[in-house]
Amino acid sequence: VDFKDYYGVLGLPREASAEEVKKAYRKLARKYHPDVSKERDAAARMAEVNEAHAVLGDAERRAAYDAVGQRWQQGGAPPPDWDAGFEFQGRGDAHGGFGGFESHGEYSDFFEQLFGRTGAWRQHGRTSRGAAHGGAGPGHAARGADHHAKIVLDLEQALAGSLTEISLRVPQRDATGHPTLAERRLEVRIPAGVRPGQMIRLAGQGEAGIGGAAAGDLFLEVHIRPHPRFAIDGTDLVAELPVAPWEAALGGVVPVVMPDGKELKVRVPAGAQSGRVLSVRGKGLPGAAAGVAPGDLQLKVRVVLPSGLDPRARKLYEAMAEQLDDFDARKVARAEAERGEGGER
Amino acid sequence: MTQAFDPWLTLDELCRAAGVAPEWLTERVQGGLIEAQGKEAATWRFDALIVRRVRSMREIESGYGAAPELAALVADLEDEVARLRRRLALFG
Repeated sequence: VDFKDYYGVLGLPREASAEEVKKAYRKLARKYHPDVSKERDAAARMAEVNEAHAVLGDAERRAAYDAVGQRWQQGGAPPPDWDAGFEFQGRGDAHGGFGGFESHGEYSDFFEQLFGRTGAWRQHGRTSRGAAHGGAGPGHAARGADHHAKIVLDLEQALAGSLTEISLRVPQRDATGHPTLAERRLEVRIPAGVRPGQMIRLAGQGEAGIGGAAAGDLFLEVHIRPHPRFAIDGTDLVAELPVAPWEAALGGVVPVVMPDGKELKVRVPAGAQSGRVLSVRGKGLPGAAAGVAPGDLQLKVRVVLPSGLDPRARKLYEAMAEQLDDFDARKVARAEAERGEGGER
Repeated sequence: MTQAFDPWLTLDELCRAAGVAPEWLTERVQGGLIEAQGKEAATWRFDALIVRRVRSMREIESGYGAAPELAALVADLEDEVARLRRRLALFG
């Protein structure tokens, strides 16, 4: 595990005040926010800035980090028990960060070792749970901590639902009391219609409770792998619909191969131009719960021209150029734009 | 053992998932910034999709000292930018 210089990330001296930490964070968040930054590594830098702020912007975490950092840097290497004395706890507040949309929960190993996957920590003896490792008193009970993780699904799994086995790294303590990450496998039934960003709560699958108290929950955040042809937009499924010029001009019924391989017949109206969006009701994501309506399939028309290098096509293009000599594509497009018909509809 | 889940979260569950206090969440639901199903706090149910937005609002408020209304607006804009980028990636 590499030591993370959070002060360096924010460009601050160690004695920086809370106000200076806040100011530095705001300045860098504006510089590296992936939605506005021109820097090539903006997303990675934003994640670093968020992580640094999650530690230095929180008085308790900052104190823990300072204590570790001082011992680490004095020895030039991590002390053998550098992460001892801290206990994992599900506070759930270290996930994400401004502009860190795609990096929720993606903190460094250093951060996770020190503060746990959820980014929360408590020192031994500071809390009742800390006492658990030193021997809890009789009758003491405490609910187990929640755990957080990410689950990545294929689009097909999100559409049809599936039974998925997931592998989790779970913080535990070894015989000497040091935190380690153990692997745990769990079978999860994913319902049809689950969406990106959806939180799946598995009751009682977090940390075990103490003294007969309930176990914590496991929160899984759903991510969907990018699909080459389809994207999810809310409950809608979005894709491009390539059509031949005569299908667009004359109209017709064209096949669309859905993610599950099944073919759907879609009617293209006569005169459909590139960019026009055709909606097929109810063919998007299924409702994830009873009473939730399914989404639609949105198909954006793209007219694909036969190559002019093909002599047969060339002959037809030449005939059109000759016979439709009053057709002015620029004029037609301008008129459409003025009528508000350009782009997506 | 196979685990099933409920796509709705209670107030307590959402607070734990997003790392916010119940008072913080209640105030924003009552202010119309976060949507809940149900009339009373005890019966509120939240779409499990909202966790990311709640976390984002929390970060914007704490990181920038932003008013809750502004944090909600920025979180909505972040969602919209992400949505448009997904479409752009697909359609060019």
